[in-house]
Amino acid sequence: MFALGTFYFFSIFLIFTSLSVIFSKNPVNSVLFLVLSFLNTTFLFILIGAEFVGIILAIVYIGAVAILFLFVVMMLDIELIDIVSNIKKYIPLASMFGIVIISEIIYLTVVKVSKGDLVFQVSNTNNTESIGNVLYTKFFIDFQLSGIALLLAMIGAIVLTHIYKPSIKRQNIYDQNSVIGSERVSLKNVKKGEGIDT
Amino acid sequence: MILILMCIEIILLAANINFVSASIFLQNIDGQIFSIFILTIAAAEAAIGLAILVVYFRNKGEIDVTKINKLKD
Repeated sequence: MFALGTFYFFSIFLIFTSLSVIFSKNPVNSVLFLVLSFLNTTFLFILIGAEFVGIILAIVYIGAVAILFLFVVMMLDIELIDIVSNIKKYIPLASMFGIVIISEIIYLTVVKVSKGDLVFQVSNTNNTESIGNVLYTKFFIDFQLSGIALLLAMIGAIVLTHIYKPSIKRQNIYDQNSVIGSERVSLKNVKKGEGIDT
Repeated sequence: MILILMCIEIILLAANINFVSASIFLQNIDGQIFSIFILTIAAAEAAIGLAILVVYFRNKGEIDVTKINKLKD
């Protein structure tokens, strides 16, 4: 009963915060509501028995993605958008999709699955342990591919936002390595009492 | 435009919730693995999207979605 109550509390709170992300006037408020909805999802995951994904969600989304959004929002000083003015022309399409999805949910939860079927996880192994058992064996290629995707994203973000200024002097490793000693240094025979003219 | 990126994040979060709840319901761990992969791709997508946003703002001085169709010209 306690689990059911907390589930409904966090679910309703999650829907409320997700709607607030969309309808907030200030983008900073939107980002903070986004953080709150990620936090609610973390609680839901921990409640259902998927602790590892929940904690990873908290670390990655709240710690990295949402903070990235917050930095960009604060950096760009965009004006407050008035979303209510042009939302009206999207209402028919959005309500159509919404009705379809809600009827699917109702069909799946009320008609197809009787109440009490959705049990919480009863497992003898640890959640983290069972993820680790398959992540590095069965999904090894996918794991490596996701790493490559992250590397590509990092390179892409740097290449996109990097400003190249030709006026700045840079260290060119190739030029440095391809220097021949005789071009730079020469041996002079200096006589006693005389200087050397360069 | 930043709101669009945030809404994409919410959509991916909903997909995550679906995957994890189906994983628990079917007593199969693969859903949680896919949830981790979705999370990875979402992080990469957020980085790229925000980089594009920053470059667009640097060039145009605004981020109005309705004016991005000028990229055609």
